[in-house]
Amino acid sequence: MVRPRRFAWVKYTALIAGLIIMVFPLLWMFRVALMDAGAGISLANIASSQFTLDNFADLFTQNNIGRYLFNSIAVGLAVTVGNILFCFMVAYALARYRFLTNRLVFISVVVVLMIPAHIIIIPLYVLTLKAGIYDTYWALILPWLVNPIGIFLVKQYLESVPPSMEEAARMDGAGEFRILFTIVMPLCKPALAVLSIQVFFTNWNSFLFPYILTQSDNVRTLPVALALFQGHQAIDWQHLMAGSAIAVLPVLILFAIVQKQIVSGITAGAIKQ
Amino acid sequence: MRSSKATAFVLALPWIVTFGIFWLFPLLYSFAIGFTDYQLLARDYHWVGLANYANLFSDPAFLAAIKNTFIFVGGTIPFTTVIALAMALLLNRSFKGRGLFRATYFLPSITSMVVIALIFTNLYSRGGYVACLAQLIGFTPPEYGFLYDRGTALYSIMAMDVWMSVGYYMLIFLAGLKAIPDELYEAAEISGAGRVRQFFSITLPLLRPVMLFILVINSIKSFQVFVEIFVMTKGKFDTATMVYFIYDSGLTTHFSFGYASAAAYVLFVIIGLFSILQFFLLRRRQPLW
Repeated sequence: MVRPRRFAWVKYTALIAGLIIMVFPLLWMFRVALMDAGAGISLANIASSQFTLDNFADLFTQNNIGRYLFNSIAVGLAVTVGNILFCFMVAYALARYRFLTNRLVFISVVVVLMIPAHIIIIPLYVLTLKAGIYDTYWALILPWLVNPIGIFLVKQYLESVPPSMEEAARMDGAGEFRILFTIVMPLCKPALAVLSIQVFFTNWNSFLFPYILTQSDNVRTLPVALALFQGHQAIDWQHLMAGSAIAVLPVLILFAIVQKQIVSGITAGAIKQ
Repeated sequence: MRSSKATAFVLALPWIVTFGIFWLFPLLYSFAIGFTDYQLLARDYHWVGLANYANLFSDPAFLAAIKNTFIFVGGTIPFTTVIALAMALLLNRSFKGRGLFRATYFLPSITSMVVIALIFTNLYSRGGYVACLAQLIGFTPPEYGFLYDRGTALYSIMAMDVWMSVGYYMLIFLAGLKAIPDELYEAAEISGAGRVRQFFSITLPLLRPVMLFILVINSIKSFQVFVEIFVMTKGKFDTATMVYFIYDSGLTTHFSFGYASAAAYVLFVIIGLFSILQFFLLRRRQPLW
């Protein structure tokens, strides 16, 4: 397959141009976050202004960002743990048992996969209001404890795990739930790792539902706080971009570490041709 | 195996409960209140039949929202798909530094939508970076910035959306390209087919299912565009989309739950038609269940 690549330079030019376009807005964010808070956002200032960490310090001392960060982490962890446990349980039921209810469950999973989630914002708002969980952590956690894509991911993985070990354990008289959590679950670690990363990311970045289901500062997550941070006459870009950087940094770091799992999580749901 | 059915039911219970409470009930409930004049602060509500639907289709704000949504969907998807495919083709063969390019292109897909919208609000602002670029190439930017002008606001948001989503679809294209057997290209090479010919006779036809999949999931996602609009323009300057309309009529000032639910069902039907399209187009190649 070796043929002379006369146009290799075209390819590299395109790739590098793409790289600059993709990375530029993020670099811009970090640059503004590190600028002197008083300076205007002009190209000249962007180029010449000194670097400072003051904006980040301000956010923690004068703004509630510590609280928002805590809320995002707490809700994210709760939802992730819930998904690991529940997606695994449901996936196991779907992969290992055959009966009518099972089929209905599977169909419901497919249906939810295809339903546009944004059309239920009104009923979900009314529901949380009536149930008394509006503006609490529960409203941000309960609806998302198990998700169809996660169920699919684990189910697909389980189908490649031979049931022989479970059967052997069953012969020895181990109970169903013990088999499930001490034998099968450890075998599913790779799939559960992909699942938890995906769930945590999605939750970390989620805006619409956390926004409509809460109103007080105490339960507000980071993206919601950032979106509502602006809106006064003059936007305080330096602090806003510093807050944005705080929301993005954990994702960038995690991405650098576990890129493979993230990519396989995304393509696993998508490609099955 | 006496207990196996009960066990399976218990295992599936988390999903059954979640599905019932947070999906099935909301869907049925909003379908029902779509036929009422239910508002948050009203004491009681009445059955109004199809009045909400009739009013929607004579409500200029709703019609504008449909129009904007279709402009958004129709204007972003072709660009996103073509650029994502081009990126995937450039990165399909292994070379030094490929991983870096792939990771960087994908970065926006894992970045918070709110953060991206905020960054671009700054880039698009009056006298901002994009305005300077525009001036450089001899184009007069809108006086108050790209997001404060009817002629440019929606298109500016769309451009950002393309920028943001190409990396994700590139990954899916790459997975699709990987599934095409090398032997096909080798055979083509031997029989003297050039690169262009190979692309149109092998790559493109074999990517068909992936292409369809991408088109349909992207349209389902794009029909629900909301966060960008909320953060960048609050629906002003001709940018309100359907989900923004649902939010605006149902969860601000009047809290018209009934009216907004009816609007949500119109959107549901539109997206449903695309899902059915997906099902029929993909069914021949791969059964869904």
